[in-house]
Amino acid sequence: MKNKIGVYVCHCGSNISDYVDVEKVKEEASKIEGVVISKTTMFACADSVQNEIIDDIKKNELDALVIASCSPKLHLFTFRNVAIRAGLNPYNYVQVNLREQGSWAHSDDKKGGTEKAIKLVNAGIARVKHSVALDMLKISSLNSVLVAGAGVAGMRAAIELADMGSEVVLTEREYFVGGRASQWNTLFSTNETGREVVERLYKTILGYKNITLYTGADIISKSGGIGNFNIELKIKARHIKSDCGPDRSKFEKAIEVCPIEVDDEFNFGLTKRKAIYMNYPSEFPQIPAIDTENCNKCGECVKICPDIDLEQKDETVNINVGAILLTTGADPYEPEKGEYGYNEIENVITLQQLKRLIEIKEGKELIYKGNKIKNVAYIYCVGSRQPEGGNTYCARFCCTSAIHSAILLKEKFKGINNFHINRGIRTYGKQEILYKQSSENGDVYIQFYDDLPTVKKSKKGAVIKVIDALTANREIELDADLIVLVTGMVPRKNNTIGDILKVPIGLDKFFNEIHPKLRPVETVIDAVYIAGSCQAPRNITESVNSSLSAASKANSLISTGTIELEPTLAQVDKSLCEWCDKCTLICPYNAIIKTEKDGKTIAEINKSNCKGCGMCLPVCPTNAIQLIGYTDIEIESMIDALID
Amino acid sequence: MSKINANFATEIKEFGGVNFNACYNCGTCTAVCSLSTEENSFPREMIRYSILGIEDDIQSSLKPWLCYYCGECSESCPRQANPGELMMSLRRYLTSKYDWTGLAHKLYTSKVWEFGTIFFLAAVILVLFIFFHGPMTTELTSEGGVQLNTFAPWKMIEIGDWIMAGLLSFFLISNIFNMYLKIIRSNKNLKIPFKLYFTEFWKLIVHFASQWQFSKCDQLETKKKVNFSTYWIVHLLLMSSYSLMLIMIVVFLGWFQTDNIYEWWHPQRLLGYYATFGLTVGIIYFSIARFKKKQEKSKHSHITDWTFLVLLFLTTISGILVHFFRIYGLPFSTYYMYVFHLMVLFPMLMIEVPFSKWSHLAYRPIAIYFYNLIEAAKKSKKKT
Repeated sequence: MKNKIGVYVCHCGSNISDYVDVEKVKEEASKIEGVVISKTTMFACADSVQNEIIDDIKKNELDALVIASCSPKLHLFTFRNVAIRAGLNPYNYVQVNLREQGSWAHSDDKKGGTEKAIKLVNAGIARVKHSVALDMLKISSLNSVLVAGAGVAGMRAAIELADMGSEVVLTEREYFVGGRASQWNTLFSTNETGREVVERLYKTILGYKNITLYTGADIISKSGGIGNFNIELKIKARHIKSDCGPDRSKFEKAIEVCPIEVDDEFNFGLTKRKAIYMNYPSEFPQIPAIDTENCNKCGECVKICPDIDLEQKDETVNINVGAILLTTGADPYEPEKGEYGYNEIENVITLQQLKRLIEIKEGKELIYKGNKIKNVAYIYCVGSRQPEGGNTYCARFCCTSAIHSAILLKEKFKGINNFHINRGIRTYGKQEILYKQSSENGDVYIQFYDDLPTVKKSKKGAVIKVIDALTANREIELDADLIVLVTGMVPRKNNTIGDILKVPIGLDKFFNEIHPKLRPVETVIDAVYIAGSCQAPRNITESVNSSLSAASKANSLISTGTIELEPTLAQVDKSLCEWCDKCTLICPYNAIIKTEKDGKTIAEINKSNCKGCGMCLPVCPTNAIQLIGYTDIEIESMIDALID
Repeated sequence: MSKINANFATEIKEFGGVNFNACYNCGTCTAVCSLSTEENSFPREMIRYSILGIEDDIQSSLKPWLCYYCGECSESCPRQANPGELMMSLRRYLTSKYDWTGLAHKLYTSKVWEFGTIFFLAAVILVLFIFFHGPMTTELTSEGGVQLNTFAPWKMIEIGDWIMAGLLSFFLISNIFNMYLKIIRSNKNLKIPFKLYFTEFWKLIVHFASQWQFSKCDQLETKKKVNFSTYWIVHLLLMSSYSLMLIMIVVFLGWFQTDNIYEWWHPQRLLGYYATFGLTVGIIYFSIARFKKKQEKSKHSHITDWTFLVLLFLTTISGILVHFFRIYGLPFSTYYMYVFHLMVLFPMLMIEVPFSKWSHLAYRPIAIYFYNLIEAAKKSKKKT
C-alpha cells in the first residue's frame, strides 16, 4: 500500500476548470488517507510544472503519483517520464481523465461534473495505492529476419536487411523469383523491363552470404514470438537434382519433349506451357521446375536429361528468426463471368492479359484470335470503386498502367485507336506525363459516372454503349475490336500465411497496419511487418518504399539482441490453475501454453506473445489469471471508490 | 445516340488541326471566349465533337463561323490543344462539306490537286491568248501609251469575265444553298416564319460590309486589343480593295481597262491605286504575321493560306506593272505582263471564291444571318 501520494489537478487552461471546480476536487483529494500533497495547476504538462512535480516527489519522498488532467492517450508517457526523472517507478503513476470524461462530457452540469470528477480522482488514488513497481520485460532476440515473398519489394528489403547486418531468410512460394514485376515488360518511368529489375536484384542477392533464398517454399507453421519465431517451411520438390550440370540446353530439350500442356498462368492463360517449365528463358533461378500437380511421370524428360529426378520429395526446413516481414504481393482482380462480357465475348480481356499480349505478339499489326485489332476500348475501374459490399477502394495503379499500355500498344502495332472509357483519370504525380502523352497521341477519353457502360457482341467484335459526361451526357456508341477491362488489385487468393501468423485483415481484405500514417508497416503482432502490395494496391515504387521502411523498422527492433516489452501481461497463479483449456481457446495471440510444473498441468503465459489484452481473465473459472498493472485488487478498489 | 468515328480526327488534321486531341475538357477556352455565350457556347463542344468524330453535329453547326480567331483560347489552353486552330480547321472542313462537287475537299487535302488545278487553269488562259490574242502593235497612242485594247480588246475579255462570274456565282450560290440545307433544313424542330427571312436580311448586309462581329473579339490586355483592332482594320482594307477590284473588272471593265491615260486624280486611277495599296498592305501585313508567328491566329499556316497570299500578291504586282508599263509605253512588257496577270488572277478566283479561303467572305455573314434567323424564330415561338 502506497501512503505518500501526490495528487495534481490540472485546469488544462480553462478546458477543465470552466466546468469542474478543480479547487474542490483538490480539497476532497487531500482528505484521503495517504495523500501527502494535493495541488491544482494551470497546465500539468508545462515544462515548469513538470519540474515542480519532480521536486515535490524528491522532497517529500512520494511513493505514488496521480495526475488528473486529460486522456492518457495524450500524456500518459509524458507523466510516466516525469516519474522516471524523479526516481519513481513509472507504474506507480496513474492518470485520471478529467477532461474527456469530466468537463467536456458534462459542460451542461457543473455541479454533477464536479461530483464525478471527485469520484474519478478518488478512484485513481485508490488504484495507485495498490500499484506495484514494474520493470520493462527484456527478452533476447535473434538478429535474423524471415522475408516472405521474393518479389521486387521482398528482394529489395532482404538486401537492405543484409546490409544492416541481419541474417535474412528469403522465401518464395513459386519456383522462380520476381513475383508480378517479372510479368510486366517496359516500366514507367525508367523504361527498364520488369525482368531487368528482377535480374539485378537476384544477382545482388547471390552476392550476399547472409541471405538464404528458398524457392518453392511454403510457410507451414509458426511458434514462438517476437525475438524468436520458429518457422516450419515446406520446400516443394523441384524435381531437378541439386548438383545439376551447367549445360542448360538439356533442359530446353526436356521441356520440348514433355507431352503435357496446361494453361500458362504467367501469361494469364493466353498461352500454354509444359509440366516442366520456365516462365521465360532468363528466369531465375535458371533451372526449370516440374509442377507435381500436372506431371504424369511419363519419364520422357528423364531420357534426355539425367539431372531430372521425378522421385524427389518435398523437404521440411525449420528456421528461427527474430522478426518476420511479409511481402507476399497481390493478385489482379478476376472479373465475374459476364462482367462487361468477360469470358462470354472472346475479345474481352483484362489489362494484365493485354500487357502480356503486347510482349508476346509479333508483327506489324496486332492479330488476336484471328482478328486484326484496330479499335481498342479500355473500360476502367473494373473491380475497383465498386458499390458498398464490393471493392470500394481505388486500386490506384491501374489508370497509369492502362494508359502506359495503350501508349506501348500504339508504338508497337500499326493502326491502333485507343478509347479510354474511364471514371476520372487518376495519374497522380509524374504519371500525369503519360496521360498527356497518350491524349496527344490521339487517344480518346470518354468519362462515365453512375451509369456503367454496356458491352454487346457484334459481328465484327463488340459494341460498347456509354453515357459520356464530357459530351453533355450523350449516349455514345463505339465498335471495338478488343475490349480491355482495366482490372485492379485484390489480396492473394491463397493467403494462408496471414492465417498462420494471425495478421489482421482490413476492410479492404488486405493485411492491415497499426496506424496508416504513424505506424504504416507494423502489425499488431509484435515483430511481424507488412510491406508492398499485400498491404494495399501499390505500384513498384510504392512497394519498395514501404519494404525498405519495414526493413529498417525490423532491423532496429532486433539488431541489439534484446527487446524491451511492456510488463503489463497476464500472469497465472500456479496454485489456483486447474488446466481447463478455456484460456488457450480464447487467447487471440497464441500466448498461453499448456505445461507441466511440479507434477501439475497448468497454463503458462508466453511473455513474448502476450499483449496484455485481458481476454483470458473473465473465462478462468478459478480466477487464476491476473493482469499485471490491472490486478483484481486495483480494479475492485477503484470500483469501491466510485460507488462510495 | 452518336457513333464514334475513329478516323475523323485524322481527317481534321489534314485540314490543319493541331494537337486538339490533347484537350482534357477543362472548358477554359469557352470561358475566355468573348463571342461564346451561355446558350451558344464554343469552342470546347466543337473540340469534343471533333475528337469523337460526331460529324453530323459539326456539319449542322454554325459555331465555327461565329469564331473570329482572336486566339485567346489557344493562349489560355493548359494543354496547348490549340482550340482556335481547330475552329479554323473546322471552317476549312465545312467549306469542303458545303461544296457538293468535292473539289474543295481535294484542294484542301491534296497538294497535287491544289497546284495541279492552278497550273491547269493558268495553262487554259495561256492557250486562249496564244490562239486568240490581237495584233501586238508597237505603235503607241497619241498620249504615248500602249494600245492594250488592240492586243486584248476589253469586249472580248468582258465575255470571259462574265463566263467566269457566272461559274463563280453558280458554285458559290449552290454551296450556300447546301449550307442552308445542312443548317436550317436538317433541323426538323426548327420552323422559321417566312417573314423573318426578309426582316433579318439587313443584318447580312451590315455584317458583310463592316465585319462587325470581328471587332467584338475582345481581349483582356489592352495591348492585344490594339493589335487586334489593327488586324480588323487591315482585314477590312484588304477585303474592300479586293471587292472594289472585283467590281471594276467584272462590271466596269470597259471603263477600267482603257487605253487613255488620265490625270493622276481621275477616279479610274485613284480607285485602282487605292485597291493596289489596300491589297499590298494586307498581303504584307498577313505575310509578316504568318512568318513571325507571334499572334495565335498566325502561328499555324495551312498550305492553302500561303497559296492564297502568293496568288494574291502575284495578281496585285502584275496588275500594277501592267498599268505602269502601259502608261510609260512599253508594249511587249505590257502584253506579257497582262497575260501573266490573267494567268494568276483566273486560277486564284476560280479556286478561292467558291472552293477555298475566300468563300468565307460569303459564309461568315450568311452564318450570322442564319444565326439571327434561328434566334428570331425561337423568340417568336416563345411569344406564341
